[in-house]
Amino acid sequence: MTKLYDLIAANPQLEYVDAATGQHFGVSDLTHTLDLEPQHGLAFLYLDNSIAAIEALLNFLDSPFTIALLSPKLNIAYKQQLEQLYRPCYIYDPSRTAVEGFEATVRLFKNTVQAGYSIHPDIKVLLSTSGTTGSPKFVKLSEDNLVQNALSIIDYLPIQHHDVTPLTLPVFYSYGLSVFTTNSIAGGQVVCTSRDVVQKEFWEDFNRYGYTSVAGVPYVYEMLHRIGFCKKEYASLRYMTQAGGRLSPVLAKTFGEYMAVRDKRFYIMYGQTEATARMAYLPPEALLSKAGSIGIPVKNGRFDISPDTQELVYTGPNVFGGYATGTADLQTFDHHPVLYTGDMAEKDADGYYYITGRMKRFVKLFGTRVNLDEVEAILKNTLNGGTVACIGVEDKYLLVQHLGALDSSAIKQLLSEKLQLHVSVFRIQQVDEFLLTPNGKVDYTAMQQMGLAEKV
Amino acid sequence: MNATQQLQDIFAAALSIPAAQVTNELSYQSIPEWDSVSHIYLITELEAAFNISIDTEEVLEMSSVEKVKETLRKHQIAID
Repeated sequence: MTKLYDLIAANPQLEYVDAATGQHFGVSDLTHTLDLEPQHGLAFLYLDNSIAAIEALLNFLDSPFTIALLSPKLNIAYKQQLEQLYRPCYIYDPSRTAVEGFEATVRLFKNTVQAGYSIHPDIKVLLSTSGTTGSPKFVKLSEDNLVQNALSIIDYLPIQHHDVTPLTLPVFYSYGLSVFTTNSIAGGQVVCTSRDVVQKEFWEDFNRYGYTSVAGVPYVYEMLHRIGFCKKEYASLRYMTQAGGRLSPVLAKTFGEYMAVRDKRFYIMYGQTEATARMAYLPPEALLSKAGSIGIPVKNGRFDISPDTQELVYTGPNVFGGYATGTADLQTFDHHPVLYTGDMAEKDADGYYYITGRMKRFVKLFGTRVNLDEVEAILKNTLNGGTVACIGVEDKYLLVQHLGALDSSAIKQLLSEKLQLHVSVFRIQQVDEFLLTPNGKVDYTAMQQMGLAEKV
Repeated sequence: MNATQQLQDIFAAALSIPAAQVTNELSYQSIPEWDSVSHIYLITELEAAFNISIDTEEVLEMSSVEKVKETLRKHQIAID
């Protein structure tokens, strides 16, 4: 079976560019540089998108190690909790100069104690699903998951060997990782950068390197819109992609039209970390005629709609091998290629799919899933049993209703700290009573309709 | 409240940091709290508080507290 690293190493045009210095590196410059022990074990990689982080990632992709990809911005207590739970062999974390119990090698921390548990050989990468609330939960992915998903994305995106692709999304995030894998396999220059679209330097890089594509979650498109992206011309740009939650219809139309009249392409895509990244995409030519659709399944993928529940069920070689919440879960890898998405869907006569609702209670904020029941639990535990009801509105904000006597700004601060999200995504409403279903439960569907109607 | 103090407070609220941490040298991405999300929120709050409209080029220029002050002065806001 082909390894992801072998496909990357086989791309003769591939170069990684350090945006900060303009230096170019071949794949061979960035592998076999960390002197890893030739063994199978677990490594934690806290990755920013710097050239050094990509070097660490490539070294480990080329090794037998199972790697957990994590945000370097996680708070230190959370990192330590995870490290105590999994006892990794190696830690890569550019934000720390020392880790207790680990000796520093060139740029890695190596555990002085053996972990003492085995890992299923099929687990190559662990990605965090939400990772800020409650117990950390990893998605287990195999080499085959990574390769199959990358190939099915390369099948529909116009990735070419003379492309210059910036890593605008974190590589520890499934969508960002897919930008890295697909362009490393089939692209040309991959620009390693942590600069983002609200920085002048990003746009200087855009011109200097001639970026050919931009990838963004809905929030990135909101920022692009805010800074007047569509009032300017970008000669080198060939296509843009969007995933990580529902883009507002207005922005979908604005960017779709901007790109279409310039003979450039805009791809709206649908996926989940549990599917390595991608399950569906909307072909650009259908963007306006099939507005609001998630499109059609990626190559080698299939959708079914459960007749009883309308749940969208995906089958494909990129479906994950189960979750891990502790070391015991690392002994298994489930080869069942079926994913219950938790989204309800409809299919039109032309075979395009539309999401009509969610079965699981979560909202996607900034591309990250936030479990609404967990949010309610956090609030109930900290507010001395004060009753609250939470919903997500259009993947844009999280609405909290309460029955009074609670301080709105205190709730916002608390949630902002616990969920590591900016205060502006929380809307707090005091209500006289909750909307209830006939059997006395909070009627989230009705709340949702109210929330949409009010546009608070 | 004068505009300088008001700016300090808007910064502290937008980034969720103590007002004392808002110094001229503080720059975008130098602390985890000043990321793209809080940056856009900060811009929106500044526009509302000072009744101004901040354009694209200015948003990209406002990469430190000092530079935000410079931008506000261009909009005739009396900032020390």
